[in-house]
Amino acid sequence: MQQLISNIALGFGVAGTPFNLLLAFVGVFLGTIIGVLPGIGPMTGVALLIPITFGMPPSSAIILMAGIYYGAMYGGSTTSILVNTPGESSSVVTCIDGHEMAKQGRAGPALAAAAIGSFVAGTFATIMLMAFGPFLAQVAIKFGPPEFFALMVMGLTVVTSLAGRSMLKALFATLFGLAIAMVGIDMQSAVQRFTFGNLQFMDGIEFLVVAIGIFALTEVFVNICEMKNPKETSMEQIKGGLWMTKEDWKRFWPSSIRGTLSGFFVGGVAGAGAAVASFVSYGLEKRFGKHKKELGTGAIEGVAGPESANNAAAGGSLIYLLCLGIPGSGTTAIMLGALIMMGLQPGPLLFTQQPAFVWGLIASMYIGNIMLLVLNLPLVGMWVKLLKVPEYLLTLLIILFSFLGVYTMNNSVQDLLLMVGFGVLGYGMKRADIPAAPIILGMVLGKNMEEKFRQSMVISDGSLGIFLQRPIAVFFLLVAFASITNPYWKYIPMGFRKLFGKTPKAV
Amino acid sequence: MAKKKEIKREERIASVIMTVFSAAYLVGTFFQIPTSSIRQVVGPAVFPRAVGILMLLISVVYLIQQMRGLVKEADEKRAAIIGADEKVETKADIKTMAVMVLIMIAYALLFEPLGYAVTTFLSFMAGLLVLNRKHLIRDTIVGLVASFGMYFIFTTLLRVQLPAGVLSLFGL
Repeated sequence: MQQLISNIALGFGVAGTPFNLLLAFVGVFLGTIIGVLPGIGPMTGVALLIPITFGMPPSSAIILMAGIYYGAMYGGSTTSILVNTPGESSSVVTCIDGHEMAKQGRAGPALAAAAIGSFVAGTFATIMLMAFGPFLAQVAIKFGPPEFFALMVMGLTVVTSLAGRSMLKALFATLFGLAIAMVGIDMQSAVQRFTFGNLQFMDGIEFLVVAIGIFALTEVFVNICEMKNPKETSMEQIKGGLWMTKEDWKRFWPSSIRGTLSGFFVGGVAGAGAAVASFVSYGLEKRFGKHKKELGTGAIEGVAGPESANNAAAGGSLIYLLCLGIPGSGTTAIMLGALIMMGLQPGPLLFTQQPAFVWGLIASMYIGNIMLLVLNLPLVGMWVKLLKVPEYLLTLLIILFSFLGVYTMNNSVQDLLLMVGFGVLGYGMKRADIPAAPIILGMVLGKNMEEKFRQSMVISDGSLGIFLQRPIAVFFLLVAFASITNPYWKYIPMGFRKLFGKTPKAV
Repeated sequence: MAKKKEIKREERIASVIMTVFSAAYLVGTFFQIPTSSIRQVVGPAVFPRAVGILMLLISVVYLIQQMRGLVKEADEKRAAIIGADEKVETKADIKTMAVMVLIMIAYALLFEPLGYAVTTFLSFMAGLLVLNRKHLIRDTIVGLVASFGMYFIFTTLLRVQLPAGVLSLFGL
């Protein structure tokens, strides 16, 4: 307990410096802008803004990034409620009741419920991280290379299995990420792999070049193609007060708490992103809510629950990132990549070796949550104005920021061209409906995964059996196997004929 | 229906590209990775080769599915729940895209010779002319701020090095 208190004190000491407070504020502010702006998701946003953190100490950098992450999660709900266009996938559900509320002139309470729900959930996730993080890190510190390898396989497959419509394509994307992570000089044998004699390929392909190309520039191309046939949107005005009535509060708490707990479980324990969490929460409200019949017609539960859930899940996936070094989502994968670029190795050792970093981040999460609450409600009018920025200007500005960010990283023109290439590739993938996030995940984990694999093989003298002799590794691999195969389980009783025969209706 | 056909064709092309890439990658692990002089239990080519084999396997299965038309309607409900990206349904505007890609390539190539501020401004203006030229005066001001303004913020305030290019002729 005393340890915990001194750790918290240490954390607030780090996060409480004026510079870091300012960064938390800037992060939350920029994050909200990103969340509100259509067409820039949290992944694009974090990737584009990482270059700002170059030259900062790692603890300041992660404080800024976490702020952006949180802010973007929150900002998405504002557009869901007012314009019925979710800023990102985790606030799709919020649209249903949130926009309905706005149409009825209750945009204020809906926005308040989203903000307070996010705050409650964010705070809860932070407390859980504080309570269980060190414990989880202590368990993980005993892991050997085989356990870590199996853990990474599990992390990749769980996220992959939730990444897109088609499991095959998501798996391919993950492997593609691993494949390009192999480019460059192999650290353990000093051999060049896939460098084609190119000097800059020796250091490998920078993940940020791929991330910015595949998210930001792809977004640019999508926008360009959409400009010819613009979508009609109607924006609801905020009428009446912002504050919730007593009745609203009464209905808010149970669903917010349900959302927080289920979201934390889905995101933090099961490792399944914020979007799933928000849907699970909506389902719970439909089933157990006191006013379940009103859901869909503008019930406050439909905002409070999912918004709490997606923030709890976002916080939960940070636990994975910090304690195990496994990103639970595309956005945390980008953050992990950035930390690795700064020379940090997230994982169980972080808690013991970099206490100032970890506890500083945790403290800044509290601070960021409070800032979000204070910042968002009064400024909602300003956020709404952002929606009026013309799309073509936004598109051009994304291009400028992408070039600026990628160039400042290595001062390399080749990186710029590579980024454009990945942008075109990303657009092609989008058209073929191949998910992009797994590529980043594979890229970020690739080198480390290979290293753990090779270390395991040294321990076992080349026998793959080592992964089956360690119970923890076996468990991870089983989860991995289950997560890729589960969409096909329903076919097992139908027998193989159905799977391979001509029965499925061709499209 | 035409839309569906289009998507299907795109997926077929994708499956072919995926298979070719995987095969090339796998072959590459034999030719692009020299054997190491250090004796190791697992050499530098093993892991990439495993990745290549898995990749090839998956893309061949996908290719066969595509070619035989075994693909079922994607489970949209599941896609919505897991928050999969929206499918792009609008027709690709290849012409505008190609012009923008050319602008980006020129942007990259002129980045160092002309300097950050000038190239950025020129690319921005080129982009404007392609995408929307209704508010040229207002947007030109935005472009000036985004290029020259950014340049000064980054080089003087954040102390990030950016190529000065032609600006250095004026002693800036």
